[in-house]
Amino acid sequence: MSQHTKEVFYGLYNDEEDLLHAIEEANAQHLEIMDVYTPFPVHGLDKVMHLEESRLHIAGFVFGALGTMTAFGFMTWVFTRDWPIIFGGKPYWSVPAFIPITFELTVLFAAIGMVVSFYTVCGLGPGVSNPILDERITDDKFCIAFETDKADLDALKAFFSKTGAGEVHTKTI
Amino acid sequence: MSGDHTFSMTGRERNVLFGFMGLGLLCIVLTFFGDDAVHSRFWSNYLINAVFFTGVSFVALFILAAFTTAYTGWYIVVKRIWEGYAQFLIVGIILMLVLIIGLWGHFHHLYHWADEEAVAADPVLLGKSGFLNKYWYTFGTLIILGTWYFAFARPMRKLSLREDVEGHDANYSLYRKYKWFSAVFLPIGAFTSAAMIWQWVMSVDAHWYSTMFAWYTTASWFVACMAITIMLVLYLKGRGALPFVTTEHLHDLGKYLFAFSIFWTYLWFSQYMLIWYANVGEETTYFHTRINEYPVLFYGNLVLNFVVPFFVLMRNDTKRKAGTLFFVALVVLLGRFLDFFQMVKPGVLHTTHEALAHSGEAAATEAGHHASHFTAGFTIPGLLEIGTFFGFLALFIFFVFKQLEKAPLLPKNDPYLAESLHHHVQ
Amino acid sequence: MHAPVAPVREPLIEGHKSYHNITEDLCSPTEKAPSLAWIIAFVVSVATMTFGLFSLAWTIWFGIGSWNLNRTIGWGYDITNFVWWIGIGHAGTLISAILLLFRQKWRTGVNRAAEAMTIFAVVCAGMFPATHTGRPWFDFFMFPYPNTRGPLWVNFNSPLLWDLFAISTYFTVSLLFWYTGLVPDFATVRDRAVGFRKKMYNVLSFGWTGSAKHWQRWESLSLVLAGLATPLVLSVHTIVSFDFATSVIPGWHTTIFPPYFVAGAIFSGFAMVQTLMIITRKILNLQQYITINHIESMNKVILLTGTIVGVAYLTELFIAWYSGYLYEQFAFFNRAMGIYWWSYFGMMACNVLSPQIFWVKKYRRSIYITFLMSIFVNIGMWFERFVIIATTLARDYLPSSWSYYTPTWVEIGIYVGTLGIFFTLYLLFTRLAPVVAVAEVKHILKTAGDQYIKQRATDNHASEVVKESNH
Repeated sequence: MSQHTKEVFYGLYNDEEDLLHAIEEANAQHLEIMDVYTPFPVHGLDKVMHLEESRLHIAGFVFGALGTMTAFGFMTWVFTRDWPIIFGGKPYWSVPAFIPITFELTVLFAAIGMVVSFYTVCGLGPGVSNPILDERITDDKFCIAFETDKADLDALKAFFSKTGAGEVHTKTI
Repeated sequence: MSGDHTFSMTGRERNVLFGFMGLGLLCIVLTFFGDDAVHSRFWSNYLINAVFFTGVSFVALFILAAFTTAYTGWYIVVKRIWEGYAQFLIVGIILMLVLIIGLWGHFHHLYHWADEEAVAADPVLLGKSGFLNKYWYTFGTLIILGTWYFAFARPMRKLSLREDVEGHDANYSLYRKYKWFSAVFLPIGAFTSAAMIWQWVMSVDAHWYSTMFAWYTTASWFVACMAITIMLVLYLKGRGALPFVTTEHLHDLGKYLFAFSIFWTYLWFSQYMLIWYANVGEETTYFHTRINEYPVLFYGNLVLNFVVPFFVLMRNDTKRKAGTLFFVALVVLLGRFLDFFQMVKPGVLHTTHEALAHSGEAAATEAGHHASHFTAGFTIPGLLEIGTFFGFLALFIFFVFKQLEKAPLLPKNDPYLAESLHHHVQ
Repeated sequence: MHAPVAPVREPLIEGHKSYHNITEDLCSPTEKAPSLAWIIAFVVSVATMTFGLFSLAWTIWFGIGSWNLNRTIGWGYDITNFVWWIGIGHAGTLISAILLLFRQKWRTGVNRAAEAMTIFAVVCAGMFPATHTGRPWFDFFMFPYPNTRGPLWVNFNSPLLWDLFAISTYFTVSLLFWYTGLVPDFATVRDRAVGFRKKMYNVLSFGWTGSAKHWQRWESLSLVLAGLATPLVLSVHTIVSFDFATSVIPGWHTTIFPPYFVAGAIFSGFAMVQTLMIITRKILNLQQYITINHIESMNKVILLTGTIVGVAYLTELFIAWYSGYLYEQFAFFNRAMGIYWWSYFGMMACNVLSPQIFWVKKYRRSIYITFLMSIFVNIGMWFERFVIIATTLARDYLPSSWSYYTPTWVEIGIYVGTLGIFFTLYLLFTRLAPVVAVAEVKHILKTAGDQYIKQRATDNHASEVVKESNH
């Protein structure tokens, strides 16, 4: 979400195999990739790009545990402290009867927490419009983008032609 | 490793397995002679182990059938192991035959409904006698187990071995035939296993009933099968026999152990909660007895079979570490044994009391008194139970090893083999 | 190198599609003017919905006295339809969550529409419990909120309250799961659109760019949500079954209810997916994405779950006899031989017997038979709920209170109206969003596209594979 504009030099590939090889080549040449854009999740992309494993599931666990404690703790408080009532001859603290709601709230908290975390860390959400490099990226093109001021333009051109990029463009975003 | 992945048991393996079988036999003999007048501890231990391992082999066949029908590819590298399990059904027939003989000869008092005097005096048991009788028990067991083995487990194994030798024609007709057997087995297995579980296990508590019980027990078998598989695969891999089984396959086996432990817990909770909630006396007595008189079994069952696998296997990396996975599988296997232990023992003890009290003889009454205070072996498994269980486990593993020796461990012509060899989780 | 594919697998995408073809084929229905068939269907749906809303308004105005509920029949059409709709919803979550975990690739063709169906079905289902309280404007009493009546809380021990939590959680999680899957596809539609549509899809797509890191997180999120949705979907119908099974009413209190309700829900849900998919693929011309192989796979699930339900019916029947409990025995005798025998036989015929024709491959792959069967199963599953509810309640412990329940036109009106709501929402959905998940289909193209499958089948030699394994 940078406010500064930057000039981006990018190449479009027609196939994900070419993209993966190109990224390996870029790694070998020590070119600093700004980002890679694909129309669908490409298998193995995170490995060649050395992306760290997503920690979203940890957020999910924490939110889930919060849900468990909220639900179980609240029902316990209501039925043992705040307003104890006997239902169906069962004890005040009827653990088996608390399980269903505890489970549901665990799932609810985990799901909402994870989804909100996801959109927050990705910088996505209602009303967000990020600059689009090329409209065919969501269709059938696989894109590697470099920032022009961080690399040598000729080296990038040579890189794209070597790795078989179908098109190269420059765009200020 | 040789290219065709053959397997043969080493002398040491043979010795260890025979050692454990010997230990099991010793424990069985010791149990028998240290037992009460009707040998209730001996017979109930036998019942638990016979049903446990027969069930594991049934479930292995069921898994093969289900995976084949569902076009599953990843499991081919462990297919031969499950085929080996399924062949154990023939031993299961023999094991159950001993119980049948015991039933006809009145050697054991496992089942209240087998006591003709008691049935005549009890309208509830009398009402059930159309199903709970020795004819049903005998012919049901023999016919159904026979069908599982002779009509499915054996022919399917043969097809699988033929595939190795003959390869495939353009139509993959051997594979298609195997798939046909699989699809047909699924409903037959589902219907018949329920009837067998009612006979073998649920009727131990002859008055009690629960519609969920058959599915609950099947889930328990399923988890037991996965636990044994994980340990065996890890062992064989460590020994160099399964170089093609990777962390990815273990991850998937671990997922199944995790998922079905939760599924079992779901069934456990549903059964328990509904009975607890409605509190109908005829049903509640089952759990009432277990909570009050067998608390170690009741709570231990949940800890070993839910708490441990759930919290350890929740993370992805624990399913990929051999040590952790082996540990959890071992805990769960003991937990599964405990589950069957708590299904069988309280009912048998009750029937024993009745049998001994009715016989009226002084010696028997004393023995009955003795039994009611005997906790190890009933309210908790004693060393003899554990020894017996390991004896049966050794027999099972020995038999499976024998099957593995008969064919290469890699079904080289299976159409899904390539998928399985290149399997990656996600 | 791509993961190898077994030569016996059938292709799931036909017609030698390229990535661009997939975008074109799947996005174009949202870009073109609606067809005549769509307009007619929409008008009919809206008309039906209007009648339903009129019946609903009638109920609220005159009270639930306008329904034929009476002692001892406290539940009739309302809860029958509630359970029916909730059950239908289950297939969506099953396809997107459980089949994802079981690696069933054919789910990609139908998961989007099935998830949409889930959400619409839950909307329809929720209307019944909300209305049957009699004073729906007080429905907020069901939520535990700090109130002015002292420390008075809802009864957390009541299965009916568990239901409220289960259904609201289910609705929320399904919506999040569905929408997160839709975001990349909305971006695809956005990048093809102009003018107002571009603005609209720009908002809907949340600023999606297709960045590698986003995709990685997106996949991680989908996987964990699938993992959460799997026990969730089981829990929802389980809790619905608790509504009955925690009671002590013979025929309701039985421990097999939870898994049996879940199996039945999946069964009816798949039938509704088939009904919708067979029409959708024809009208939107998606036969190459929702292929005969998809339909066959779903028919297999229908056969499987129909048989599981059959095992459960027979288990119940058998254990009723086995229990030695007079009232339990009577309850089942009454179901099969009592005044509502026709609904029991309808249930058995539609749910257990008729799906058995799917053992024959030819019938599994026939569009007409599949469509007919899907309707059959939906009717059968409706009967199942009716058998459980009305048949049981019409014959309770006191023979003097025995009665016979028939719905009024208002009850029928609301039921028919929910069908109208369901189809109206579904038809709108087919206009607004790609009915088949675009990105996910592209993801499996190289392992499930017909041209790739054929190519691999020719160069896949078992001997080479074994050689590789020895490295």
